[in-house]
Amino acid sequence: MALEISYDVIQVTLLSLYVSGCATILGSAIGIPLGAVIGLKEFGGKGLLKTITYTMYGFPPVVAGLAIYYLFSRAGPFGSFGILFTPTAMILAETLLVIPLTTGITITSVAEVDRSIKETVKSLGTTPRQSVLTVMREAWVGLVMAAMIGFGRCIAEVGAAYMVGGNIQGETRVLTTAIMLETRMGRFDYALGLGIVLIAVAMAVFFFLRLLQEKELL
Amino acid sequence: MKQSQIVIIAVAVVAILAVSTAATFVLMKGEPKKLRMATTTSTQDSGLLDYILPTFESKYNCKVDVIAVGSGQALEMGKRGDVEVLLVHSPAAEQTFVSGGYGTNRTPIMYNWFVIVGPDNDPAGTRNATSARDAFQKIHDNGTAGNAVFVSRADGSGTHTKELGIWSSIGYNNTTVAAFNTNWYKQAGQGMGAVLDMCEDMNAYTLSDDATYYSRVDVALIPHLNITKQGDSALKNQYSVILVNSTMWPHINKTLAKDFLDWISSTAGQDVIKSYVKYGHQLFVPNAPGYTSTTAITGFVDTSLFEDVTAGTSEVPEAMLMANDMRADAPRGRAIDGA
Repeated sequence: MALEISYDVIQVTLLSLYVSGCATILGSAIGIPLGAVIGLKEFGGKGLLKTITYTMYGFPPVVAGLAIYYLFSRAGPFGSFGILFTPTAMILAETLLVIPLTTGITITSVAEVDRSIKETVKSLGTTPRQSVLTVMREAWVGLVMAAMIGFGRCIAEVGAAYMVGGNIQGETRVLTTAIMLETRMGRFDYALGLGIVLIAVAMAVFFFLRLLQEKELL
Repeated sequence: MKQSQIVIIAVAVVAILAVSTAATFVLMKGEPKKLRMATTTSTQDSGLLDYILPTFESKYNCKVDVIAVGSGQALEMGKRGDVEVLLVHSPAAEQTFVSGGYGTNRTPIMYNWFVIVGPDNDPAGTRNATSARDAFQKIHDNGTAGNAVFVSRADGSGTHTKELGIWSSIGYNNTTVAAFNTNWYKQAGQGMGAVLDMCEDMNAYTLSDDATYYSRVDVALIPHLNITKQGDSALKNQYSVILVNSTMWPHINKTLAKDFLDWISSTAGQDVIKSYVKYGHQLFVPNAPGYTSTTAITGFVDTSLFEDVTAGTSEVPEAMLMANDMRADAPRGRAIDGA
C-alpha cells in the first residue's frame, strides 16, 4: 500500500527531536545545578524539599500542558507573547516535566559520590567552586542518566504536546500526536508505523547518551 | 573529560539548536499569512480539510493552521482568543457563544448525517423504529430490561450534544441521562472511532457521524456494526463557521478570517466541499445561504435522505431538539446572525 500520509514524517520526527531535545537541555540546565545545591548544601527544610522533588516525578503531563495553556492563552497573563500552539510552548510544558527528574536524580547522584572523595577534595584546600566541580565529575554517570530519563519522558509524552501544541500539520505535529491522529482515524497500521519510528528515534538518542555516559565519545 | 571536549559538545549543541531555529524562521517567512482555525475532529479525521484547504491557501497565499479538538474545546479556544476562526457543529453552544459577544458572522456551511448504529441482531429493534426518537426510546426500554447496551461519547463533543438533545426530546434531561444505569448506558469519554470500536466489542448501540462510521467500516474494524436508523432530520449535523471577535482580540487577522468565510460560503468553496467523496459516499453536503448546486452530486448518495428534509416530513422540528438542550435564557430557533 502506498504511504498515504499527507504530512512530512521526517519533519514530524525532527520536530519531536527538537522539542524533546530543547526541553531536556533546558530542564537539565535548571535541574542539575538545583539538584547539586540541594544535594551538597546543608540547610533547614532540605528533607522536605527532597520529598517534594521526588513526589513531582509523577507530575502529570496533561496538568503541565493545562498550566502552560492557561498561562499563555491570549486570555491568560502571558497571552501577549503569542506563543501558544508553537514549538516554544511545547518546550516550556515539557521543561516543567523534566526539571523534577533532573533535580531529583542529581540530588541522589551527588549524594552517592563517596564521602571520602568529598573529604579529600576539601582537605586539598581547593576552592568551593573547584570541589563542587570535582564532585559533579564523579557523579557524571548519574547526571547523564538524569538527562536520559528527562528526554525519555518528553519524547514519549502526548498530553502536554497535544494541548499546547495543537497538533498543527507542519508546525506542531510531533510523533506522539501524529500517532493519536492516525489512531483516531482508524489507521492503526500507520499509527503502528509511526510508533516504530518513535521507538527507533528514542533508541538512537539513548545509544548516543549511553556513549556519552561511558565517556566513549570523550 | 577534557575541558576542550566539553566546549566542543556545547558548541555543537548550540549550533544545532541555532540552525534548526533559523530554519524554522526561514520556513515561516515563506508563508506570509496564517489563519488559525479550531475545528472538530470529524472534519480533520474524515480528510475533508486536507481536501478543501489547499484551494483556499493557494488562492490567498496563506496557510490555515488547523487545531482539531472537541466542539466544546474549540469554542473555548475562540472565547480565549487563541484561534481566529471556528468550524464547529454544536448549534446551541454556538448561539450562546455568539450572543455572549465572543464571535460574529455565524454562517451555516455544510451538514452531514448522524446515524444510529447497532449490532447485527439489533436486539432493540431499531430498524423498525419510526424515527430517531423512537429508536432511542427502544434502546432505552431494551437497555433497562437488560437486552441492549448503548455507548455514549460523554465528552461534551458536538456528537454528544446531539445525543443529549435526542434524549431530551423524549423526556430524559441531561441529569437523568447522566444517571442512567451503567449496566446498559456506558459513558466512554472517548472519541468517535474509539466508541465505535467499543460498540463492536460490546454489541452495543451508539450515535455516530456517518463519516467516522464509514471510515471504520472501510478498514474492517467494525464488521458487526450496522446502520440501523438514518435519514431522520433530527439526525442532521449542521456545521457553521464563526469569526472570533476581532475587537476583543486585536491580534486577529480579520481580513483573512473574513476572506475564509467568504470563500467557503461562495459557490467555488461550496462546490469543493460537495466534490469530496470518500468510502463511496459524499460525506458533506454544502448548504451556505444562497448556494445552489451547479454540478451534479458525485458518488453514491441516498437521495431519500434529502427528500425527508426538504419535504419537511420529519416528526421533530430541529429547533425543538436544540431548544431542549439549550440554557433556558439562550435564544431559541435557528436564527443565524450577520450571515
